[in-house]
Amino acid sequence: MMSAILGEGVSVERVAVDWPGPVELMDGETDADAVVYLQPQPGTLPDTDAVSTLVVFSRADELGGGRVDALVSARGLARRHARTSNGCQDVLAVSGLVALAGATLTPDEARLIASLSTLPRTEIDPLLLSADRFATYPDPAAVALPTRLGLFGIRLSIATARRGLRSHDALAAELLRASGISDLRESITRNFVDRAPVLQALSALRAVDTVLREDPRPQLANDLERLMTSAHEPRELLLLAALRTGRVSLGEHTEEALYLLGAHGTSPATRLTLTNGDSYAAALHWRTLAESPHHTTRERQAAHTITRTCEALITTGAVH
Amino acid sequence: MTAAPPWLEILDDTIRACATLRRGDLVDRLLDRRALLLEPGRRLVVTGYPGQGKSQLVNALIGTDVCAVGDDLTTVVPTVLRHADRPTAALITGDTTEAPAVESVATHANKLALVRGDVVRAEVGLPRSLLGAGLVLVDSPGFGAPGCPRTARAMAALAEADAVLLVTDATSELSSLELELLTQVGKLCPTVLVALTKIDLVPGWRRVAEADRHRLAQAGVAAPLVPVSSTLRAAAVRAEDRALNQESGFVELIGCLRRDVLTDPVLVAAKAAAATSGLAVDQLIAPLREEFDAGPRAADTRAVAEWHAAGRRVERLQRESARWQTTLSDEVADLMADLDHDLRERTRRILREVDDYFEAADPAKVWPEFSDWMHDNLTAVAETNSQWLLDRFEWIAGRVARQVVPDARQLPAEVLRGLATEHVVGLRKPAIEPFSPVQKAFVGLRGSYSGLLMSGLATTLAGLPLINPISLGAGAAFGARSVFEERGARLKRRQAMAKTTAQRHVDDFFLSYGKESKDATRLIHRALRDRFAEVAQELRDAAAESARLIKRDLDAEAARRTTRAAEVRRELERLLALRARIEAVRGRGA
Repeated sequence: MMSAILGEGVSVERVAVDWPGPVELMDGETDADAVVYLQPQPGTLPDTDAVSTLVVFSRADELGGGRVDALVSARGLARRHARTSNGCQDVLAVSGLVALAGATLTPDEARLIASLSTLPRTEIDPLLLSADRFATYPDPAAVALPTRLGLFGIRLSIATARRGLRSHDALAAELLRASGISDLRESITRNFVDRAPVLQALSALRAVDTVLREDPRPQLANDLERLMTSAHEPRELLLLAALRTGRVSLGEHTEEALYLLGAHGTSPATRLTLTNGDSYAAALHWRTLAESPHHTTRERQAAHTITRTCEALITTGAVH
Repeated sequence: MTAAPPWLEILDDTIRACATLRRGDLVDRLLDRRALLLEPGRRLVVTGYPGQGKSQLVNALIGTDVCAVGDDLTTVVPTVLRHADRPTAALITGDTTEAPAVESVATHANKLALVRGDVVRAEVGLPRSLLGAGLVLVDSPGFGAPGCPRTARAMAALAEADAVLLVTDATSELSSLELELLTQVGKLCPTVLVALTKIDLVPGWRRVAEADRHRLAQAGVAAPLVPVSSTLRAAAVRAEDRALNQESGFVELIGCLRRDVLTDPVLVAAKAAAATSGLAVDQLIAPLREEFDAGPRAADTRAVAEWHAAGRRVERLQRESARWQTTLSDEVADLMADLDHDLRERTRRILREVDDYFEAADPAKVWPEFSDWMHDNLTAVAETNSQWLLDRFEWIAGRVARQVVPDARQLPAEVLRGLATEHVVGLRKPAIEPFSPVQKAFVGLRGSYSGLLMSGLATTLAGLPLINPISLGAGAAFGARSVFEERGARLKRRQAMAKTTAQRHVDDFFLSYGKESKDATRLIHRALRDRFAEVAQELRDAAAESARLIKRDLDAEAARRTTRAAEVRRELERLLALRARIEAVRGRGA
């Protein structure tokens, strides 16, 4: 999956990349600031930390025997899980195999697919029934293609080629688009990279907490507990995730809320884009919403969180 | 099926053994199992972890989309497929049975199970030759987190299986969880098959199959692995394409099923029954074996310690009895000496006072009050002395009691009562001569006569008649003098007499009271001794009795243990024999 995210084959456990901004990708779960939890198929979601986790159905292309709409269906499932789950920032359906294939598609492979797409259906359909059958096609590249693209990738690219998009670039772009990898990249950027300072701080606090559990110091532990429970940023992140996945909706105010919560940038000016830079008016407005009887408890809680953000903007000029 | 296959007898024997050893849980389970085994048709449970293609496989196997298939977690309740002449369907919940359409029953059941907890299973009857050959297919839910209802239903379905088909997909090798499941299933149900699904999707499925076979061999699971593709089978059924059907692997899977399950259903049932009985018997044997290996339990150390303590107590009480008797007699001897000395000293003091008193006083005049004084004093002496005696006895009794009954304050106080304190009889009045006027006159006359005679004789010398005034005067003077002297002498005599009387009286008192006191002492001594002896005897008896009781309990316990050990051995031998029979059936199966 790391290879798929980067768009090229890697075989090491840690990679430092310019995301933009320094980001280190690594395999395994130890001392990470944020986690992308890979789950091959949809199913019961793991119990993970809500703020620093993304769940990914990493082999979404295998769903339903690799039929052409497998990823669309998987994406629908992922959205449903995201709406109902509270254990992660977001749930995504991605096919690592297809993404990597899209990024590294060779001209030979593109040519093979283009030629296959010209065959009549009666000839091509039996070939697409199974990987074994496809490998019997008399072309040197055909043997490796199921391993490279997977049946889903082959079916998808042939369907694309039939629609007339036969060039190498077009096929690669379609594979990348269908794989859902861009969603994952964007989600990582949005949920992790943009909020790296908060996640790092939380991770540091958790580390301190671990140490304190082994070497108890009541005063320090109390301070830490207070800090962790009263911290506003994790709540902001949770609310952002909830708004994006549709767990909570604020109707016409959703867009303004996203801006205020820092979805488009965490500088005070960006946050206040939709409120004409008037943090005081924004605070009043959201407080009214938080106390409005026309909203559900969850919506009022959301409005309350945003009110706190506004108050922070008034008093310190920044949220961090 | 024969009337009474041999496995039935074994199963019944096992059920009886469970009942004997009061394992109601096992009995219930075995009875359920027995009923299912007696039904015609062998249950093949399709099991595995979620998303491996279990329902898809069942659908492909019978060539109809009966079981619910979906991209997410779909199967939550088992679907049971059996032969029927025409398609039937039933949805069985806790207390009701519905009959929806055949195609939708499983989907309906699974949807219903998400909102209701009491959906048991969906049942479908289909006219298929595979089912007609005596196969009952059970599509069970995938295993999930331990303890969730889905897992519980999967386990329940497995517990009723005669044969198990584990489904694992070719996208990954057998996981350790699946291997663990297989090992467990193999214990419960010896006929196990493994299907490797989704081979159409994975180019490298041959490598995966090889790795899986290797893993199975490593884990010691003797199960054939059949690679299949449900998608290909479905396409083959649609297109009625024999070559494709061959490619899907289902021909081989059905062959496997016919060979392992359907050719000899009695054998499959026998193996399943043997495995079930074997498990039950193993569960029975384990605690018995443990008890047997532990050997006859050592006697209860606490009881033994108690018994030793009781024995020591009896011994100690016997030793004490000699000691306390010595103490008692010593103390009483001391007491007697002390009392005697005390009494002697007190009476002496009284006598000294009496002597002093009668130096001056005239007994004739003061006798009544002296008598009272004497009485009071002696009474006081007697009271003090006897009180002292009682006090001392009380103290002695306390001391001895502490020796006799070291741990109880059981003072035989009543023995001390009843010591009479009335030892002082009335003081007899000494015989004191009264000095009457006649006596005085006589004494005076006697004195005056000699005086008269002497003076008269003297005066006769002077020529005076014998009776003359001088002689008369002298006579009178002499008379008076002799009366006076006589009175003094009498006083002295009376005083001496009074002293003697008092002396004698005190001696009498000393004697009689001393006797009484000694008698009382002896009496009390005896009473105390008897009482203490009695108490000591009681204590000894009680201690001996308790020791005897403890010993009896110990003996009874030992006897019980021996009986129990024999029982355990007998039971164990019986169960081992049963086990051997089960093993024989199993061996025939293998």
